[in-house]
Amino acid sequence: MSLEPTATSPASAHLRAVNKFYGDFQALKDITLDIPPGKVTCLIGPSGSGKSTLLRCINFLEEYDSGEVRIDDRLIGYETPGGKRMSGRRLREMRCDIGMVFQQFNLWPHMTALQNVAEGLERVRGLKRAEATARAREALAKVGLADKEANHPSRLSGGQQQRVAIARAIAMQPRIMLFDEPTSALDPELVGEVLAVMKQLAAEGMTMVVVTHEMGFAAHVADRVVFMERGELVAAGAPREIFQHPTDQRLASFLQGYRERNSLDF
Amino acid sequence: MLEMLHRYGPDLLTGFGLTLLTWVLGTVGGLVLGFFLEMARRFGPRFWIGWPIRAYVEFIRGTPFLVQLFVLYYGGPLIGLRLDALPAGVLGLSLYGAAYFTEILRAGFDAVPKGQIEAARAIGLPGRTIVWRIMLPVMMVSALPALVNFAIILTKETVILSMITVPEIMFQTQTMMSETFAFVLPILILALFFWGFVEVISRFGRRLERRFTHYLLEES
Ligand SMILES: Nc1ncnc2c1ncn2[C@@H]1O[C@H](COP(=O)(O)OP(=O)(O)O)[C@@H](O)[C@H]1O
Ligand SMILES: [Mg+2]
Repeated sequence: MSLEPTATSPASAHLRAVNKFYGDFQALKDITLDIPPGKVTCLIGPSGSGKSTLLRCINFLEEYDSGEVRIDDRLIGYETPGGKRMSGRRLREMRCDIGMVFQQFNLWPHMTALQNVAEGLERVRGLKRAEATARAREALAKVGLADKEANHPSRLSGGQQQRVAIARAIAMQPRIMLFDEPTSALDPELVGEVLAVMKQLAAEGMTMVVVTHEMGFAAHVADRVVFMERGELVAAGAPREIFQHPTDQRLASFLQGYRERNSLDF
Repeated sequence: MLEMLHRYGPDLLTGFGLTLLTWVLGTVGGLVLGFFLEMARRFGPRFWIGWPIRAYVEFIRGTPFLVQLFVLYYGGPLIGLRLDALPAGVLGLSLYGAAYFTEILRAGFDAVPKGQIEAARAIGLPGRTIVWRIMLPVMMVSALPALVNFAIILTKETVILSMITVPEIMFQTQTMMSETFAFVLPILILALFFWGFVEVISRFGRRLERRFTHYLLEES
């Protein structure tokens, strides 16, 4: 299989009336949201509000029950809205355009940093070993870890592991990147190095969807902030509108709670 | 004593050889079958595959190997399965081993962190690649000691094949004992053989374990 991308223009994503149930519990309620290309969209909200679930519907790690999720105009997961599941092959093909970074890094422990990054290039993009290695090195250099390529994850700090995970995603030359609380598992002094890499990606015009509790990042880097609560999309807008002039009562109290816990911030 | 060794030496060597052969084939067969059972159980339909496999595992674990071997060797012909002693023995060992191996593999696969599998799916790796390149090497850290341990147990189960006339080492030493009425020497030979045999396997197992866990032991 060779899925060498021809051009890497940033993709957009579109959710239409997306619903997701876990048994009787509804985790996503009628979510409609457009992720503009080349922009950073931050998802904020209390824990358990469905942010991860929404993010994971975008690459179909989580199967939504109704509605539509599209990357550009291609429906992901199903052949037609509400129809039958798309083939594994087509789903994989779509997924290699969608990078994902997890809270727990999820590096493969038995592979070195370089092997972690090269694996998808060789076995999904179908590159020859030498070319995959060269491109993996480029990606590691980009996240500032050229000198750590021979380290296994157990010999990297949390911040370094997360940067390797970002390198693993960007090496695939995705057209959209999903981040699920990428700094939440890090010691505070290591958060900065990961956010710096993300800012650099944003500056390069990558489409990014970032679930985060880093309100500073959301306020300064995001083009758009989306607030969720109890599976509902409650408010969305420019960071200024969301943080300075919250009109929604639930959003206002969420922000106030955050400010009280982090009394110095923004 | 030398005369006895001279007389029975060739038979004993055949016995050693057959014990090694049945063990290798039985262990490999058991591992392969156990792996397929686990894959079927993990990725196949729960009702039509999961349930029969569970019943199979319970049957094998719930009855003595000797009984299973008799069922296969003497009961097989009743359903048209007519096997010579050696193939019946190897098949019996494989079927027996598979039930235990598949349980060890199941626990191992269950212990692979879900996030590592999701990361592989998110990048677009196909299922087969995920099993071979991610899940198997990751789970070996925890499963390998148990797999090696059961392979060692299997060395000793091979002696039961003597009961269906497979001329392996137990069969040969029994023949030697009944013909010469000597006990110490045959038992000593048998014990030494198994001791060496198991020692070699454990060493090999430790080497394998180091191979799969080296990244955890690396010096910084
Ligand atoms: N696999 C699952 N099974 C059952 N409930 C789940 C599962 N995953 C998430 N949930 C529930 O769905 C809700 C939303 O979860 P999640 O999207 O992880 O929230 P967030 O990321 O905003 O903290 C939570 O109440 C959670 O308990
Ligand atoms: Mg979450």
